[in-house]
Amino acid sequence: MQELSLELPQGGLTALVGPSGCGKTTTLKMINRLIEPTSGRIEVEGREVHEVATHELRRGIGYVIQQTGLFPHKTIAANIATVPSLLGWSKERIKERTSELVDLVGLDPELLRRYPAELSGGQQQRVGVARALAANPPILLMDEPYSAVDPIVRARLQDELVALQHRVHKTIVLVTHDIDEAIKLADYIAILNVGGVLEQFGPPADLLRSPANEFVASFLGRERALKRMALLRVADVDLVTGPVVEVGASVDEAQKVMAEQGVDWIGLRDGDRLLGWAWSHDLDGASELRNVTTEPFRAWVRPSTALREALDLIVDSSTRVAAVFDDDDRYLGILTINQIADGMAK
Amino acid sequence: MLFGANGPNSFIWWDWVDRHRDLIKDATFEHLRLTLIAVVVGFLLSGLLSVIALRYRWTYAPITWVTGTLYTIPSLALFVLLVPWTGFTTLTAEIGLVSYTLLILIRNIVAGVDGVPAPLKEAADAMGYRPVRRFFEIDLRLATPAIVAGLRIATVTTIGLVTVTGLIGLGGYGGLIVDQGVNRNFFSTPIVVGATLSVAMAVVLDVGLAGVERLLTPWARRKVAS
Repeated sequence: MQELSLELPQGGLTALVGPSGCGKTTTLKMINRLIEPTSGRIEVEGREVHEVATHELRRGIGYVIQQTGLFPHKTIAANIATVPSLLGWSKERIKERTSELVDLVGLDPELLRRYPAELSGGQQQRVGVARALAANPPILLMDEPYSAVDPIVRARLQDELVALQHRVHKTIVLVTHDIDEAIKLADYIAILNVGGVLEQFGPPADLLRSPANEFVASFLGRERALKRMALLRVADVDLVTGPVVEVGASVDEAQKVMAEQGVDWIGLRDGDRLLGWAWSHDLDGASELRNVTTEPFRAWVRPSTALREALDLIVDSSTRVAAVFDDDDRYLGILTINQIADGMAK
Repeated sequence: MLFGANGPNSFIWWDWVDRHRDLIKDATFEHLRLTLIAVVVGFLLSGLLSVIALRYRWTYAPITWVTGTLYTIPSLALFVLLVPWTGFTTLTAEIGLVSYTLLILIRNIVAGVDGVPAPLKEAADAMGYRPVRRFFEIDLRLATPAIVAGLRIATVTTIGLVTVTGLIGLGGYGGLIVDQGVNRNFFSTPIVVGATLSVAMAVVLDVGLAGVERLLTPWARRKVAS
């Protein structure tokens, strides 16, 4: 490996991604000194790693590996208790912590008495995470943690990691060869090339928007805009009022709005409640908008919805728009494909 | 006719067996004593040599070379050659018997520990295990099936070899065979009794050790098909 200089953000998940031979696992293992660098400095929490005894350093860094690396001869409870036992915790404290962890990673407490071989791949992976978190280390190293499980379980475990990270805020370093996994999970991505050359470092959305070079672009793969849409949220784009009028307005006004916006449907609202929408011909002969039968917006999203999901709903809807509501179901505005495109260009 | 009724040409004279119960009992204890000493001492010595071989890899080749050479010396010759130095004693018997266990046990212990998957050893290191504790809690525990397999072979082999020490006046069932059978114009009854009980002892101890292995490796029998 060549020279590599990286500062990993505290409390964030950084993914080290690259082709085989790029030294991503080597970099990870240098952090807990499973591999010793020939030169250079590595600091963890402000301390140079060589200033601390190796075993003490490692007990303060959680480690999750592919195939989980659980000890086959120890029960699940004993596996989870590995680092607390090494630290000499009392039995009661270990027991208490174990039940916390079982809850945190979503394991059935019944499994604690079993051996790893009796668990499914997904369950083993959860145990691996619980074991790594047992002594509550500030840092978590994960080396291809999901490479041994099937895609469906992998997706679920990834979602669980995101939810878990929301609760524990660890500084996580994740090594993966799967760029989509990195895009999905990471706050920051470091793309490494053969020999440990750092090609680009930054938030996934930044990399997708402006890859530093051809290597990064090809590594990120096709459909970069779509991938970025999966990261951006409805709240990131400006909404429009759209062809929506107050239910108290006149039929003429509604027709005027439709004409202005060049659409053949109208949305009706009552203050911050969106009542629904109707085709322009439904208005024919109606004296008051209040008497028009409306249909609810089937395509509706929250500010927290990913743009990619919103786009999917929009292209599938009759009106080609999605209504946006906040968590209290108050109407916020209309999202169109144009708004998404504008938001992406920002 | 092996276990047939008594007769001049019968292999087994049951009334001889009946009259020599104490002799047979003593031979059994003696056989067991010689076997257990050999296996226990051999296991301790092998453990020590294995740790050296594992810690300093360059010693493994010379250790297996020396123990391998010992293993190839014919047992009969070894016992007879030792008599001028150590006499007709238990020590003479045990020097030979222990020597024969070393190669089997060291091979199995070292192979067992080497066979523990590298990612597991690395995981243990990454958790913050220090070397000695890791060796006892991880490496050695996971090598248990291989080590017990070595112990079973060594035990069964030793039970057979103990019989040979009958030629230097010891030997448990060997003594029975030599003193009561061979030296009495090949009287067949003690020969058959000694051989049969020797085989029986080997079977009992082998099954016993298999049971010990089951007890020591509870994780191995609770696998579910998935």
